[in-house]
Amino acid sequence: MSKITFAIGGVHPDDAKLSRGCAIEVLPLPQTLYVSMAQHLGAPAKPIVAVGDKVKTGQVIAEPGGFISAFVHSPASGTVKSIGPRKDLAGNNVMHVEIAVEGDEWVEGVDLSDTLVTEIPEDRAAILDKIKACGVVGLGGATFPTHVKLNPAPGSKAECLILNGAECEPYLTSDFRIMLERTKEIVVGAAIMQKVLGGCRTVIGIEENKPEAIAAMKKAVGELPYDIEVLPLKKKYPQGGEKQLIQAVMHREVGSGGLPISVGAVVQNVATSLAVYEAVQKNKPLITNTLTITGNCLPVEKQHNYLFRIGMPLSYIAEYAGGVPEGAAKLISGGPMMGRAIANLDAATVKGSSSILYLSEESTKRGQESFCIRCGRCADACPMGLEPFLLNRLYKAGDVAALEANAAQDCIECGCCLYSCPAYIPLLDNVRQAKGMALGAIRARAAAAKAAAEAAKAAADKNNKN
Amino acid sequence: MAYIVSPNPHIHAAVSTKKLMLDVIIALCPAAIVSFLFYGLSEIAIMAFSIASCVVLEWAITKYLLKKPSTTGDLSAIVTGMLLAMNLPPTCPLWVVFIGAVVAIAVAKMTFGGIGQNIFNPAITGRVFLLVSFPTFMTDWTVPAGFISNVDAFSGATLLGQVPILGALEADKLVNLQTLFRNIGGSAGEISALALLAGWVYLLVRKVIKPWITLSIFATVAVVAGIFHLADPAQFTGPLFNLLTGGMILGACFMATDYVTSPMSTWGGVVYGVGIGFIVMMIRYFGSYPEGMSFAILFMNMAVPLINMKFHQRKFGRK
Ligand code: SF4
Ligand code: SF4
Repeated sequence: MSKITFAIGGVHPDDAKLSRGCAIEVLPLPQTLYVSMAQHLGAPAKPIVAVGDKVKTGQVIAEPGGFISAFVHSPASGTVKSIGPRKDLAGNNVMHVEIAVEGDEWVEGVDLSDTLVTEIPEDRAAILDKIKACGVVGLGGATFPTHVKLNPAPGSKAECLILNGAECEPYLTSDFRIMLERTKEIVVGAAIMQKVLGGCRTVIGIEENKPEAIAAMKKAVGELPYDIEVLPLKKKYPQGGEKQLIQAVMHREVGSGGLPISVGAVVQNVATSLAVYEAVQKNKPLITNTLTITGNCLPVEKQHNYLFRIGMPLSYIAEYAGGVPEGAAKLISGGPMMGRAIANLDAATVKGSSSILYLSEESTKRGQESFCIRCGRCADACPMGLEPFLLNRLYKAGDVAALEANAAQDCIECGCCLYSCPAYIPLLDNVRQAKGMALGAIRARAAAAKAAAEAAKAAADKNNKN
Repeated sequence: MAYIVSPNPHIHAAVSTKKLMLDVIIALCPAAIVSFLFYGLSEIAIMAFSIASCVVLEWAITKYLLKKPSTTGDLSAIVTGMLLAMNLPPTCPLWVVFIGAVVAIAVAKMTFGGIGQNIFNPAITGRVFLLVSFPTFMTDWTVPAGFISNVDAFSGATLLGQVPILGALEADKLVNLQTLFRNIGGSAGEISALALLAGWVYLLVRKVIKPWITLSIFATVAVVAGIFHLADPAQFTGPLFNLLTGGMILGACFMATDYVTSPMSTWGGVVYGVGIGFIVMMIRYFGSYPEGMSFAILFMNMAVPLINMKFHQRKFGRK
């Protein structure tokens, strides 16, 4: 039993990894793909193709729209049919490039073979360029552009690269499957990132409920010529939360509003590591990822782990897997703790898609809200050490200063509070709002301080000139 | 077909107010059953009447006065009813029980807005009110006929009441570790230390409560009684005597741990427990009542908002 885990709070939902035994299957291409321009954190990508253009698989179809942004590539070969707004998961309009699929003819220079390439390029800048050119983003949820994260600002030094294989969300098994089936590629990907970061300590953290993955990783690490550790972690949600994982592995706490690099940490998901491998060693852009079809109202024989191409409508994948099951009351993209309810099943998959999860009404229905009985369970569960019952009260009172003093802005929206509340108080719903208010106040203050500093500087300059 | 669209989390732990209260009810059962065995039908009547009064009062108040949906479904009124009954002597007339229920539910709980809003523990408020208003009924410890004979029962009085009569030295001799297993007399909830502790352990195992409040009360009582007893055994009863007599165990295990009226944080709970332990010993040694548990808890209930302001959870990434 591993005792390694984060120190504050956390909950233990049933892990329900029902689809753990389902090997990854490749989904066939649909007739049409809809490629979102907002698949990553930051500015949306700008399309560089026009309607009627012929595109090949892996061809760049959109360029980064800012410093924090990413390239997007065509997931198949065919013709650009339209460029325009289309509804995403939540029903919001987002720019998409529609591609009429004609085949799967790849661009030149991509190594499509299965051969493992273990030789890592020497040039750090060239590696980063490749990662950027292949549109790699973090696949653990935040979809932050990977080349930015791997290139810490001057003055900060990476002391530890943590590969997140915790997969602490119940139900999800896509990370588990790639750790079993693409083990060595993930290790090479980790070694590449380790090199980019200057050879820091590198740890692959895996929760104990995946012993096969731990064994496979240990074996792969032993067989490959890199200096990488495999660290079994205790099963506890949210182990995969960035700040929690850093604390579990390094015993350091990222301060409020701080980035992991402030304590010398860089965290990357195992799926990202695989994407890095494919980008750097195979020159293959990020147009595929693994997704789990699972749920408690879906018989296990109908559950799958699929290798999908970005742009496939969720409805296409659901249909292919046999349709939305009888008894599904809620459809979720992501895990049951932090995933998002699917309002629009026609939405297209994106780089960070990880699942279609069907939950039965019984398991997902929220109970009737009643009075807070001050049991303190929400505070015990909160991995950030917040007091959700208090934040809830302060939010209702609209007391922004007190919200900030009680660290509403530190909430990571993990859902542990509401999950644990016997009175079914919509804690996270309200704390999320409260967090927005507190962050707003902090930003407004920072902006005002900056403006004041600039005004003072301008005045000083003027005086100097006189 | 429309599917539910709502924010995360999409699942919930198998916990609800009702389930927690049900666990408290289950935990109180061993002690209640022991009291039935020793005190017989009259105790059963008190228990049934107390629970019924509390539930009906809460129901009537929410329905006719507050005009809100009834909250009796959360079972907390049953818990209050049980605790109130267990705090009364077995000879208590039913109309006195009813007044206790009115004070507990109508005054202590519902005027503050119902569960979660009250400052004082309802059952204790009811008991203290009765103790002050009807001292004769509340200190009548004649033992009614039970289903099993009361060979061990200390004839018709609580041990605490014996201290002024027998003196601390003699009273101390009446209590030893075997007391745990015996009928120690007193109100229904004070008879069997073992049954109460079994219920407390059940609550711990079910993770309904944490042990810190109870343990800090016990520890404080042991230390304070130990010091005084060492200083002057003729005047001050010892730790074991004080831990096993009166409402100590019932209060420390079931009343002081009431969620609503105890602090939220672990360290806050420790401070609260130490406060209760200290106050109860001061009342027992120097006060005019032989028993001080209810007063001590009520007093510390008042300090809870203050304690909650001072003691917070340790926040991640902040010193
Ligand atoms: S959602 Fe926010 S407040 Fe709730 S437990 Fe998680 S971090 Fe704490
Ligand atoms: S878990 Fe719910 S009932 Fe308990 S203190 Fe928190 S908000 Fe109140």
